[in-house]
Amino acid sequence: MKIQPIVILLIAATLGWTLYNANRDGRQDDTQALHVLAGSELKDIEPLLPQLEKETGVRLKLDYTGTLDGAEQIAQAGPQGGARYPLAWFSHAKYLELLESARGRIVAREKIGLSPVIIGVRQSLAQRWGWDRTPPSWSDLAARAASGELRYAMTNPTSSNTGFSALIALIAALSSDPENFTLSEAQQGTVKDFFKGQRLTAGSSGWLAEAYVRDQDRLDGLINYESILLQMNRSGQLREPLTLIYPREGVVTADYPLLLLDAGKRAEYDKVIAWLRRPEIQERLMRETDRRPILPSVALEPRFTARSLIELPFPGQRSVVDRILTAYLDEQRIPAHAYFVIDLSGSMRGEGIAALKTALLNLMGGDTSLTGQFARFRAREELSFVPFRDRVEPPVEMTIGSGADTETSLKQARDFAQGLDPTGGTAIYSALTEAYARIQQAQGQQPDHYYSIVLMTDGMNTAGIDLDQFIAYYRGLPEATRAVKIFPILFGEADTVAMQKLAEMTGGKVFDGNKNLAAAFKAIRGYQ
Amino acid sequence: MRRVLAPVFGLLLLAGVGYAIYDSMNGQLALKSQVTVTGLIGSEKEAFFADPRVQKALQRHGLQVKVEKAGSRQIATAFDLQKYDFAFPAGQPAADKILQGVGKRPTHVPFFTPMVIASWKPIAAILETNNVVRQRDGIYYWFDLDRYFEWTQQETRWKDLKDSAAYPVNKSVLIRSTDVRKSNSAAMYLALMSYIANGQRVIASREEMEAALPRLIPLFLRQGYTEYSSEGPLENYLSMGMGSSPLVMIYESQFIHEALKTPSGIREDMVLLYPEPGLFTRHVLVGLSESGARLGQVLSDDPELLQLATEHGFRTTDATAFKAQAERRNLAVPAQLVQIIDPPSYEILESMIQTIEHKMQ
Repeated sequence: MKIQPIVILLIAATLGWTLYNANRDGRQDDTQALHVLAGSELKDIEPLLPQLEKETGVRLKLDYTGTLDGAEQIAQAGPQGGARYPLAWFSHAKYLELLESARGRIVAREKIGLSPVIIGVRQSLAQRWGWDRTPPSWSDLAARAASGELRYAMTNPTSSNTGFSALIALIAALSSDPENFTLSEAQQGTVKDFFKGQRLTAGSSGWLAEAYVRDQDRLDGLINYESILLQMNRSGQLREPLTLIYPREGVVTADYPLLLLDAGKRAEYDKVIAWLRRPEIQERLMRETDRRPILPSVALEPRFTARSLIELPFPGQRSVVDRILTAYLDEQRIPAHAYFVIDLSGSMRGEGIAALKTALLNLMGGDTSLTGQFARFRAREELSFVPFRDRVEPPVEMTIGSGADTETSLKQARDFAQGLDPTGGTAIYSALTEAYARIQQAQGQQPDHYYSIVLMTDGMNTAGIDLDQFIAYYRGLPEATRAVKIFPILFGEADTVAMQKLAEMTGGKVFDGNKNLAAAFKAIRGYQ
Repeated sequence: MRRVLAPVFGLLLLAGVGYAIYDSMNGQLALKSQVTVTGLIGSEKEAFFADPRVQKALQRHGLQVKVEKAGSRQIATAFDLQKYDFAFPAGQPAADKILQGVGKRPTHVPFFTPMVIASWKPIAAILETNNVVRQRDGIYYWFDLDRYFEWTQQETRWKDLKDSAAYPVNKSVLIRSTDVRKSNSAAMYLALMSYIANGQRVIASREEMEAALPRLIPLFLRQGYTEYSSEGPLENYLSMGMGSSPLVMIYESQFIHEALKTPSGIREDMVLLYPEPGLFTRHVLVGLSESGARLGQVLSDDPELLQLATEHGFRTTDATAFKAQAERRNLAVPAQLVQIIDPPSYEILESMIQTIEHKMQ
């Protein structure tokens, strides 16, 4: 019998293919994506990831969350939770390391880059005040903020790292004993002065930058990473460039540690670290993401004008951090006044109203988790609930007391939430009109409060005025009232297009409450 | 044509199969005589083990070394040591802590390094004006721990020092160390300062310890957040500069290693200050398995590995090699240190750390 060459060729090909695949199997594991629990500020790293995969065989998939949220997820995951997120990557891990339960889960950490948290101020103002030549102190900033000349945006310190770092820096800078973060009566006053200028808040640094662009005509600056401020100045979206201000007493710098949580992924982790710390990658990170290199041998580009920054102390105890955050929420920030425009129509019956009650009760002391404690309604806060059915129900207003009275107020709030009972139609826009009318009135009496509207509905508008009539009404409002943002929550059959429209028109943000309504309510707290 | 092709394909097939077999055998044969040795090390020795020259030299002894780094003091507590062939922490106390857990094991001390303070010329000048630092032989800076200790008790601030215009900062004059709970270099800093607090004597009793502790605790508590391993503070020093790290407690070896790199992160205005008295950190390799112990032997005996250790900034039994390198590369490091003290006993040091840990909660 004569073997046909074509048969031999086939055998050879099959054999070769099998051998080739056998060799590949060893590498197959490496190409599966490693999930990274990441801060949203790391989105600008994504363009580098394909090259990372090509050169190391490790594919990273970043799943985004807030700094404190992420810390909590890691702390709660427990020793067996490592498999879910083998890696984590935040702008800093200092708070995480202060949480007893989270600290034990970190197998290794390596810093990747640096970016100080600073304030960008409109160029003309910086020049007028001489800040472009001599950097101001934090108290200088506080004085301009108190006089109304410096209106700035800053994220909520309990949900985002830039607000958090700025708050720590401010306290350390003003304290006569910065290592202990203690303040005298007068220094407390200066802190309050500083926050009088905070006219825009947000739960994330990225969203804050976008909101600043939108509201730039009524703001004078914003607190953010140096990297984001540099990118904003390059973006062409600013009518006036920002002068980067590095306050004299110093700053707190983010160092972007990549954390290994699952010891089993050590090999992949080591590869990723080695790659990210290569000189050419460090240079690329500096060029493309405006972060300062962690590698000392990579020279800083000239556009980083402040070469040597004073780094302010950072607390080494969780109790100190918690004290600082609590004082911010309960004493120092301008009090929030949140309007909750909530749907009590018949369609909310059953699961809908149960979810809504849970969400509200969580904010009234029911959520005792780390982030839950900060997200609950805080001392001095004004709350207005505007329930609606076929028409607007009589709004319920309450103020959260300070000190021992806080719990009494929260109890009253819980009684109110427990009693919610859905029935009837859906007059969304009449209710929103009512909310804005009340805000306009409240602003006259309390101009120094921070106003916001949460809209929660599970369906279409069926009663009262329609969207167009509401838009016409909104446009006729004075500027200060128009500046109050709506944060609509998508739930059930809610009109997604209309919700989006409301958020866009007012500068707010849509949150999806379908998977977890309570989480949506909690996330919005960062924007109040 | 077919007749020609058939044998050609046959040969090709043979060659292909043969090569595949050869290829897969080849790697295994080369590895056969090698033993893989896995160990936990303090981060300050990571670069040494990652050096291809070190790896080659070890391979000549049949050792394929794999390392994971950890805070030296964490090695004893945070890892399952049964999975490792050796532990190589920095510092005798950290090694003692490991030995307490695993029982009697062979130990080797292939190299050691003094504790130093990484600083900056403008800072050294301020400290010189204020009599904490003085120069000797024009290059070495000596740091008076006694006077520094007084400052820490008075919470002296940089801006309050005489002629401090170059650093008018409202922060306390405080040496930054690592986290004393996790890392050896902070424990060594504590050992040094406890000697000062005890009136220039090594603390030898519980009474002395309790008397000194209230004055030692603020040295750590007031630092606020601290890094878990010795490369952290050095990294901050190198990449964030004087504003972040005016004074940092590090190993001399770390600084020398960075200075000898190309490109190097060490710049003209960086200086080393030598505390007086001084203290050595001994790098103790604890053999957890037979091959691990052999690694310790090889690192202590092999002349080439000792030379490479010198090039990584460590001091070894070969003092001349260290001196020659310093002269050749123009490093401002003293060949010999005179006033050297011992750390307190393991029990005393451990109990001081526990008290501080308790205060840090």
